Amino acid sequence: MKMIRSKVHAMGRISIWLVLLLAQSAFAQTYELVIKGAQVIDPANSRHGKMDVAVNQGKIVKVAPAISEAAAQVIDAAGLYLSPGFIDPHTHVFVGTEAGQFANGVNSVSPDDFTFRAGVTTVVDAGTSGWRSFPTFKKQVIDQSKTRILAFLNISGGGMTGAAHEQDLSDMNADSAVALMRQYPDIIAGVKIGHYNGKEWTPFDNAMYAARQAGKPLFVECHLPEYTLEDQLARMRPGDIITHTFEHIKERMPVVGEDGQVHPFVLEARKRGILFDLGHGGAGFWFDQAVPAIKQGFYPNSFGTDLHRFSMNSAMKDMANVMSKFMAMGLSIEQVVEIATWNAAKAILHPELGSLNQGNPADIVLFRLREGDFGFMDSAGTSIRGNRKLEVELTIRQGKVVWDLNGLAAKKKGF
Amino acid sequence: MKLIQSVRSRTACMRFPAAWLLIPLFCTTSYCQSIDLLIKGGHVIDPKNRIDGVMDVAITGGKIVQVAAAIPPSDAKKVVEARGMYVSPGFIDMHVHVFNGTTPEAYIANAATSIAPDGFTFRTGVTTVVDAGSSGWRNFKLFKAQTIDRAQTRVLAFLNIVGTGMASRYEEQDLSDMNPQMVANMIKRLYPDIIVGIKSAHYWGDYSQVQRAVEAGKLAEVPVMVDFGEHRPPLSIEKLFREYLRPGDIFTHTYAHGPNDRETVVDDQGKVKPFVLEMQKKGLVFDVGHGGGAFAWRQAIPSIKQGFLANVISTDLHTDSMNGGMKGLDNVISKFLNMGVPLSEAVLRVTWNPAQVIKRPELGSLSVGSEADITVFSVRTGDFGFIDARRLKMKGDKKLEAELTLRAGKVVWDLNGIAAASWESEIQGK
Repeated sequence: MKMIRSKVHAMGRISIWLVLLLAQSAFAQTYELVIKGAQVIDPANSRHGKMDVAVNQGKIVKVAPAISEAAAQVIDAAGLYLSPGFIDPHTHVFVGTEAGQFANGVNSVSPDDFTFRAGVTTVVDAGTSGWRSFPTFKKQVIDQSKTRILAFLNISGGGMTGAAHEQDLSDMNADSAVALMRQYPDIIAGVKIGHYNGKEWTPFDNAMYAARQAGKPLFVECHLPEYTLEDQLARMRPGDIITHTFEHIKERMPVVGEDGQVHPFVLEARKRGILFDLGHGGAGFWFDQAVPAIKQGFYPNSFGTDLHRFSMNSAMKDMANVMSKFMAMGLSIEQVVEIATWNAAKAILHPELGSLNQGNPADIVLFRLREGDFGFMDSAGTSIRGNRKLEVELTIRQGKVVWDLNGLAAKKKGF
Repeated sequence: MKLIQSVRSRTACMRFPAAWLLIPLFCTTSYCQSIDLLIKGGHVIDPKNRIDGVMDVAITGGKIVQVAAAIPPSDAKKVVEARGMYVSPGFIDMHVHVFNGTTPEAYIANAATSIAPDGFTFRTGVTTVVDAGSSGWRNFKLFKAQTIDRAQTRVLAFLNIVGTGMASRYEEQDLSDMNPQMVANMIKRLYPDIIVGIKSAHYWGDYSQVQRAVEAGKLAEVPVMVDFGEHRPPLSIEKLFREYLRPGDIFTHTYAHGPNDRETVVDDQGKVKPFVLEMQKKGLVFDVGHGGGAFAWRQAIPSIKQGFLANVISTDLHTDSMNGGMKGLDNVISKFLNMGVPLSEAVLRVTWNPAQVIKRPELGSLSVGSEADITVFSVRTGDFGFIDARRLKMKGDKKLEAELTLRAGKVVWDLNGIAAASWESEIQGK
């Protein structure tokens, strides 16, 4: 194994000196980085067109039709799309060494392995940790990763430790959850309830109480076999999130009924402001739900991939594949970008993310739409065809290039 | 285009003598399909068996049962149409770090810098990885329990000559923890099926770490892989090759360019040093081991032009290489294709060559009876770029993309659903 860190640091130091030297000269450069000529899609600002984007000190400083001021680095992005970095609001990234477990376990995955190459700059962990285990999660993963990691806190104190422990009502302590959420208001995005097999509504109510106290959304996963979908939706507030929208398994009523129509109470809930997250996962996405639902205008508010060990190599694959699949089902590029950026940012109450607003962290993705004959699968193992596929060229996290598929930002000189 | 055919026939078992044995099991009805999965019409590259042409590959019971032209689809329960694609043995990535764990401050052993293998392997066509000395005899059992036993990928390992493996650069200097007998015992007596060799790496001293590793290699009758990159000033690799390593031993990070602490294979005038070619001829194995910092165009391009091509193409996968110039084995193979290496030569270097180097002749080929580890891939054409450890770019027009990966006959990656049925078929009850 060969490391490059020390060299990178050394070069970083040298380049800081160079920048300082240049700044003192007559050729002072206004921007550290300008990305030129991309087709910008910034749904929060209703921008869609050819524009340049300038970055300084890890922040977006200007988006304009033509930026002519000098820059230390210019990336020519003609022919590519540019959007805010994608936000994946449903992942399981509390990776550790516990066998057969998501919390601190091998069923979770390391986020940086999957995010940047798929254009994702922010993930939200969906309740893999609870108030007892969040400190370990933070120290072990959140603080060590280059991806921005936010979290829904599981109402179960230990998080996703496995079936038995997650049924323990006495460990679903709302006050402890609230205290932790107040300690980390910028990281903890809400409260999660899921994987409860009992009939009592206590866990749901405790989770809702904690969410209310902290002023954050409730994130409802399925695997709540004794609660009906209708009852869950009825108890949720506008802005609360329900995931696994297009799941078609025994333990939860699907959103599309036997008659092929989206249930009226589902449409009613959406109208009331309940947010539906995709939650693709290994078993959570079915064409027999998604295709008719989309035809009827019902599609998810956000594209949670439900990334984990059992979804990564399945029909899910990664965020770019999920977005491509929705284009194959008829959504436009503008729609899928909006769902993957601004919609998700609003849902997790982080309006400083998911847009190219001046002053925002420079989390940016450059991608192309490949044309060809592609296939996309669902959890039933069936497929649809599509002719466009989103391929991520360059990902920037707080102004730094963290993925460069084809060397777009590489040095130009010969070797 | 119809991609999956589930054709049934009454005339199946006439064509293969071996299939007659299965008749009592499978032919209880008037239908008989002795093949579980048939990959049809792909261009098969199987260097061991000198196959390089359009062939069908039949899999039954997780094993390869036939490779031949025009195997009738009627004999198969499931057919994957692979026209326009290549079919090869599952790739072997002979240099990775997958001892993923949570020890605070740890470097590679049981640490976050190592990677859980399954997220990187199947999507890049890899079915077997060889961990390059992340663990030593003191922590191999933990590595096995934690990673090897739980991975879907076949995980083999070089055992580090250092007892604690790659716990940190500091521990790696402890000559008193480099015990050839303990290393050899663990390999020969405990895990001969998993441990395929010994790793020597990151040592700051003289040749004594390599000496210990080779001593252990002789005791255990396995090859030694050497990362000889942390000596200031660099120690002679000619001396390493001539005086310490044996034929079959492995020199990794072949195309690294860090002349302050590692002697390079290409000199300042751009010439491959004559002893490098000579020693490769004599049986020394050269491994790419791309990594975060160990692949430079200025080493690789002149080497290949002058006929010095590494025997094995590998990634040195870890968190500091995964998102840089390396990316995945598919990308590393693509670099070699674009440097002018023919596809069959590149495939050889990720299949049958590494299988021989690690003395696992049952891997890396499509021989009948082998476990069905198979990669179906496309070679895209387009305008691509590839970067090296120094962030310099080479342009290219070819890129390998893994379409379908089978591990022991099971689909573990299917990029475009070529092994899936159309979703309407379910609704239509077909």
